[in-house]
Amino acid sequence: MLTCDAYHMPGSLTEALKLWSETSDGSRLVSGATDILPWAREGRAGDVHVPELVDVTRIAELDGYAFENGRVRLGARTVYQDFLTDRILMQNLPCMPHCAIWFADDQIRTQASLTGNLVNASPVADGTPAVVALNGEIELARLDSGKIVRRSVPVIDFIEGPGQTRIARDEIATAIILDNASGYGGSFQKVGQRRSLVISIACAAGLVKTDHNGRVFDDVRLAIGGVGPRPIRLTEAEQALKGARISHERIAHVAQTAADTVGSRSRQEYRREVVVNFVRAAIEDALANQPNVTISFEDTEEEAHA
Amino acid sequence: MPKLTMDAEVNGRKVRREIQPYSRLLDFLRDNLNLTGTKEGCGAGECGTCSVFVNGKLVKSCLMPAAKAQGTRIETIEGLAGLGDLTPVQRAFHKTGASQCGYCIPGMVMAATAALRENPGADIEEIKERLGGNICRCTGYTKIFEAVEMAKAVIAGDAPETVLEEDKVGDSYIGANVRRLDAPSKVSGRLKYAADMKMHDMLQMQVLRSPLAHAKILSIDTSEAEAMEDVVCVITEEDVPGNDGFGVFVHDQPIMARGKVRHVGEAIAAVAAENVLTARKALSKIKVEYEALPGLYDPADAMKPGAPVIHDYAPDNLVKHIPVRKGNVEKGFAEADLILEDDFRTQQVEHAYLEPEAGIAYVDPDDVVVVISPSQNITHHRHMLAEIIAKPINKVRFIMSPVGGGFGGKEDMIYQGMLALCAMKTHRPVQLNFTREESLIASAKRHPARIHYKMGLTLNGRITAISFDMLSDGGAYGMSSEGVMRKAAILSCGPYEVKNLKVDTRAVYTNNTPSGAFRTFGAMQAQFATESMMDMAAEALGMDPFEIRRINMMKIGAKTHTQQTLETASLDRVLEAAETASRWEKGVPNVRGAERDDLNGPDTRQPCTLGARIKGSRNETHPYEKVA
Ligand SMILES: Cc1cc2nc3c(=O)[nH]c(=O)nc-3n(C[C@H](O)[C@H](O)[C@H](O)COP(=O)(O)OP(=O)(O)OC[C@H]3O[C@@H](n4cnc5c(N)ncnc54)[C@H](O)[C@@H]3O)c2cc1C
Ligand code: FES
Ligand code: FES
Repeated sequence: MLTCDAYHMPGSLTEALKLWSETSDGSRLVSGATDILPWAREGRAGDVHVPELVDVTRIAELDGYAFENGRVRLGARTVYQDFLTDRILMQNLPCMPHCAIWFADDQIRTQASLTGNLVNASPVADGTPAVVALNGEIELARLDSGKIVRRSVPVIDFIEGPGQTRIARDEIATAIILDNASGYGGSFQKVGQRRSLVISIACAAGLVKTDHNGRVFDDVRLAIGGVGPRPIRLTEAEQALKGARISHERIAHVAQTAADTVGSRSRQEYRREVVVNFVRAAIEDALANQPNVTISFEDTEEEAHA
Repeated sequence: MPKLTMDAEVNGRKVRREIQPYSRLLDFLRDNLNLTGTKEGCGAGECGTCSVFVNGKLVKSCLMPAAKAQGTRIETIEGLAGLGDLTPVQRAFHKTGASQCGYCIPGMVMAATAALRENPGADIEEIKERLGGNICRCTGYTKIFEAVEMAKAVIAGDAPETVLEEDKVGDSYIGANVRRLDAPSKVSGRLKYAADMKMHDMLQMQVLRSPLAHAKILSIDTSEAEAMEDVVCVITEEDVPGNDGFGVFVHDQPIMARGKVRHVGEAIAAVAAENVLTARKALSKIKVEYEALPGLYDPADAMKPGAPVIHDYAPDNLVKHIPVRKGNVEKGFAEADLILEDDFRTQQVEHAYLEPEAGIAYVDPDDVVVVISPSQNITHHRHMLAEIIAKPINKVRFIMSPVGGGFGGKEDMIYQGMLALCAMKTHRPVQLNFTREESLIASAKRHPARIHYKMGLTLNGRITAISFDMLSDGGAYGMSSEGVMRKAAILSCGPYEVKNLKVDTRAVYTNNTPSGAFRTFGAMQAQFATESMMDMAAEALGMDPFEIRRINMMKIGAKTHTQQTLETASLDRVLEAAETASRWEKGVPNVRGAERDDLNGPDTRQPCTLGARIKGSRNETHPYEKVA
């Protein structure tokens, strides 16, 4: 059971930052509360009393999204359900709808913020690999002599380990800034014990862009979660595919090498095995998802000609 | 503590209440507004019994701080149809029989309503996805989905409203679709389960539970808890006036730990206070000194000579041994052409009924101790409690509240005694609502079993002998173990006529969570082994698995394992129905490779996918077909 002495719902960022910097130690920020409420239960933190809770969901500045310099700036209030209902976000962040559909359920997605997911920094948070594949940064704001000061940290560095991030005591996350991946195909892979309401055992996100003929990989982005304390971007695999002719065999080969490198970082045999299939599926699903391009696989073509 | 003034529009009416700053929306609805159709099945976002609309969006009210709903428009199950009639969704649930215990049903109706509001044209895959956050443990989902599709058709005008009405019943109710009498109270959220009931001046109770599996209790100091403001009483085993001890067969379990604890989660003391929070705080003030004892966690260890003893009355740690003998197994095995021998194991299983344990006790003006709870065995509980509290039977009354799922898990009197003691000590009504975690840790589980199996067969598939040896982990207390062992023994070798058999089922004490009654009462564990053996025998003998079962099945006149002569038998018809329904291709199962027509048919569960609503959303030329 989570108890507090006061629950604040500031309406502006300045008000929120001021309130937050004045709260006593042990106070917490709250967005959707879908991590923080279940955390204060038996088997986890047990009954917890915090002095104050500062709710960020009525801060007007954290609302909505904007396009800036080829990037998408998502206000910190963006929730998972937005990736399933907002056509523009779905189109420009093509791995996010697939990540969202496997996340919790419709009701929790209506509350659960992407920001809360990242700040909570669980090694199996679904949002992390998807955001890392989109070269995501998290924007943090604090008050300095009454003025709002902001900084951005790449999410891959922001998450330092389970529950550990680079956020400072007086900061509030205000936005998540992602690459605009319009024209890419996106995908998301998740292993869990059931379909809804399940935390991943491991997860992976993929983004792929090919030439117009669907023959060559122009760009590939791959990230995985759940295999180590921090998210992993598979840069070697990405490099091996960029500029290469698309073929099932090449994808399978890259998946195998990726699994070998990642595998050495993970002690769990099962997760090691999962990675091979994840990487292959992430690439193939993303290829199938790319708009307006029909993919021509080298090996399928050869078979057709043979 | 500073309060928070909560303003909202609830079911079309403006309300203002003073609430705690940390109240959840669920607490506000249930405690402040008495809207108890919204339930707390888990308190952690996992079950969906608490689903409500906030500004038109369905949310889980257990995960929402009430303050977030400040100034919003809230709609609960009670508000869907207003007073009187039911909505088409509710009527469809009534029609298709989509409600059993009913505990999940208000949440299900809310989720179904949300699905059809969000997308009135949602196809079945999307409906399933949108109901994914709501769990049902008894109805199963088929009738629920049937109801949602029926409501969808009626709302869209594709089906007449008359489909929601009761079917005409002809000459017989057998085989007719008859609506359940109790469904309207469930689909409307009006039915009051124990946790939904309130009595004037009622106290809330919380239970201190053991963190250790096996330990001597050296001392319990409740003084600090008792001195707390708003704490009304603290009880321990010392407060038990009569002969302490309950259990379905052997009365080996005290109301609260007496001298020692035998499993993690065992009740040690209970506090009744003016509110839950105070009661919970008081628990942390109770000091218990333990001396850890060596524990038993494996049933095989419990049988070893010199093993720690868990109950003094059972120095061998045996709860019950049920032997069954028929014919002569040595002779039977000697006649066999083939002898198969194997080991089987099953695991501990939680019932996970959606209604966590809950109850109220009070002492009525005639000094009758009354306990209201979803007990599956009130008459037995009443007799046991009378002994325990040293009262004549006419001074003890049990009222069975609607059971939000039991499946055997609510047969044990694990909390009613504590409620009664608190009510007797305070002369005020006392309520206890388990949290989900508490229900998991303290309630009985399905027996984990180990079975050593030996089966002798002739080359034409006839069983000549079986030796069946089952060892079950009974956990810390006897509960229903004896009955479960009996049932397992009686049904051990399945519905097959076996001339020579030797069956032994044993349950032993360990320091694991007690095992108790659970649907099939021991038969599931036994049948898992027996039916696996039948399939393995079919493979070994190169026979069709239906064929080998027909050769051995009990027919009219057969003698059961316990030597009863059967006057009726229906296995032939069961096998035939199963064979037809599964489109079974005759033959040995393991030699036919992948080209079987009976696999992956329309009636087979397809692999789980998601994404019905994002399919083809990006452009029509490249529809998205597959997620993971
Ligand atoms: C039943 C259930 C199923 C779930 N399924 C999944 C799943 O499938 N995948 C998955 O990844 N997660 C899952 N979760 C976990 C959770 O829903 C997510 O992590 C969610 O994204 C958290 O977001 P929130 O807004 O609810 O965070 P909160 O609980 O409000 O906050 C989480 C943390 O972030 C901090 N925080 C929030 N906002 C800010 C801000 N603006 N600035 C600084 N700090 C902030 C809070 O202080 C807190 O430490 C599930 C949870 C439940 C209960
Ligand atoms: S989801 Fe809220 S009580 Fe279970
Ligand atoms: S009817 Fe669904 S849980 Fe009982």
